[in-house]
Parts: sequence; C-alpha cells; structure tokens
Amino acid sequence: MPLINFAAREINYKIVYYGCGLCGKTTNLQYIHRKINPDARGKLVSIATEEERTLYFDFLPLTLGTVKGMQTRFHLYTVPGQSYYNASRKLVLQGVDGVIFVADSQITRLDENVESYLNLWDNLLSQGDDLSKLGFVIQMNKRDLTEVFSVEDLNELLNHTDSPVTESSAVTGQGVFETLKVVCKQVIAKTG
Amino acid sequence: MARRKGLVINDRQLDRCDDLLQKLKEVSGSSFLALISTSGQPITTASDEYHPETLSLASLAASSFAATQQLAKILDENEFTLLFHEGKALNLHVSQVTDQVLLIVTFGRETQVGKVRLYTQRAIEVLRQIFDGPEDENTPAMDAGFEAAAGTAMDDLFKDM
Repeated sequence: MPLINFAAREINYKIVYYGCGLCGKTTNLQYIHRKINPDARGKLVSIATEEERTLYFDFLPLTLGTVKGMQTRFHLYTVPGQSYYNASRKLVLQGVDGVIFVADSQITRLDENVESYLNLWDNLLSQGDDLSKLGFVIQMNKRDLTEVFSVEDLNELLNHTDSPVTESSAVTGQGVFETLKVVCKQVIAKTG
Repeated sequence: MARRKGLVINDRQLDRCDDLLQKLKEVSGSSFLALISTSGQPITTASDEYHPETLSLASLAASSFAATQQLAKILDENEFTLLFHEGKALNLHVSQVTDQVLLIVTFGRETQVGKVRLYTQRAIEVLRQIFDGPEDENTPAMDAGFEAAAGTAMDDLFKDM
C-alpha cells in the first residue's frame, strides 16, 4: 500500500520484480541504476549470496521529483528466484503496490516460469490483498536470445489476468524502462 | 477505477510524531530515531548530527523485522515485538508501533539499553494512539491532477532511455 505523507508532502509506492531464478530481475534493477539520472535514484542495495544470487532482495529507490507538490518515490525491489526462498519472497511482497512478473522467454524455462507465476498468485492471495487493485505487468525477458517462445504463446501460458505485456532484454536495456513506466502508471491510477 | 487505500499521514499526526520523537531522543539519550512503514518506507526522523541514509535503512529494517516475525512463527512464539542489534559503537532497536508502523532507535554504547527500552515502550503507547485514532476529517485528498502530472513526469524522466 502506498505511504501518503501529506504533512511531509511525500508519496511512496512499492514495486516488486518477481520471477524464477536467473530470469533477469536483478539485471533490470542494475540497468535502471546504471542508466537513470543519478539525482533521481538512491543506492542499489543487494542482499546476495557469494555467487551473486539474490538471497533476500535488491532495493533501489527512484525519485520522480515533485508532482503537484508531492515528492513522489518508487521503491523497487526484487525477490530471490529459487523456489526454496519462498519465505523471503512473501516478506518482500508485503505492502506491494505493483508487480512486474519477469518471464524468461526461453523454451527450456517454461516449468520454472509457470511455477513462479503460480507461486506469485499464491503468495499474493495469502496476504489477503485485493488483487484487482494491484498494478501488474508481465515482462517477457531475454527476447534477444534464440529458442524462445513467441509472445503469443507465452501470453497464453502465463497471462491469465489479461494484464499488460512488454518485451525486453534486460541485459541490453531494451524494454526495461518501458516496463517500469507501465507498472508505475498503473499503481498511480489504482492507488492515487 | 477502484483505488487502494494506504497509510495516510496528515499534518497533525506528523507534528505529534515529530514532537514525541524529539522528546524520546532527549530522555533516552538516543542518537537517531525514525518512524517507518512496515513495507519499508520512511515517515519521519529525529536526529541532531547523525544522519544515516534513511531510504536504505527503512527498507532493510522493515525487511529484518518482517523476517523476525516469521522466525517467531517457526519457533511457535506468538510474536517477537522488537529487533535489537548490538554493535561496537552503535546499537539498533526496532520495535512495532502498529500493524503498519515501526520505530527505529539507534544509540551509542554510553546509553543504557534498559533506559532506551523503557522510554521507547512508553512512546509507542502514545504513537499507537496517534496512528490508531479515528480518521481525521481534515486529512486532505490527493490533487485531482496528480495522475496526469505524474505520467508526464515519468515520460520526462524515462525519455531517451
């Protein structure tokens, strides 16, 4: 849920990148951190294993600036992808306003995508939140690789909510900001 | 479109919180205090000279606290209501105010833990009344043009990316 501090003239939204291990969640955040105006972002905090796999989460605060007198921020988080870190994923989802589900487009990763997608909805439902009021985007990542599903097939396999879909290659940055923009606009529309 | 309601802080609540944090800082001998949301967003702070990076601190403290709550469940404990880290020069004390609000207190080795805990507990009782009280009718609404203006700001920030 957003934190609206009228006294301090601030509004904060929480966006979570979700998806299976190695699908590109952290790569999205690293690209945003690298490319965006340094004045508009804070520190990129990562709690990762020695092998640089996300252990708990990555965190990157973005400042949109002052909008209608309100300092507007988006707090971007990733979750650990591996299924045995589900307890940590649930914690990161607490208070979420918008979710970007990062799907690995490679044909060989279908099972992991489906498992992670079902796990996301399980975890959101267990929070008891009204899911119709969450921002939600599916980012079809790794479109630069060969042996990938078509967008139509992946959409049919994963997008049961008929949510917006973007195509990306987080390594090159293609589609990274487009995806972020879609979900940010959604959460503002749904939460005010 | 249906809108979600989050944690909304008005002028009166923030003034009362700021006054209380300032008093707590003085009587407890702590160096830095922050109220944050349980989802990791800062609400307000009180400090004199020590200014840690608040956004990262809020995110990490809220996550650690949430993990502590889950540890309690796994251990069949009803709840752990505080998180305490003891450092060489600085201690960190995080405690729950309401379902949506946490209080962070940092203090040096020269300050007694018991004193901080005592005064923090008393402050939390007052803070709960501030956040759990009836909704203030004077709480303003978001500007009607916020959504459109935010969209334009986003287009500007992300252009050429």
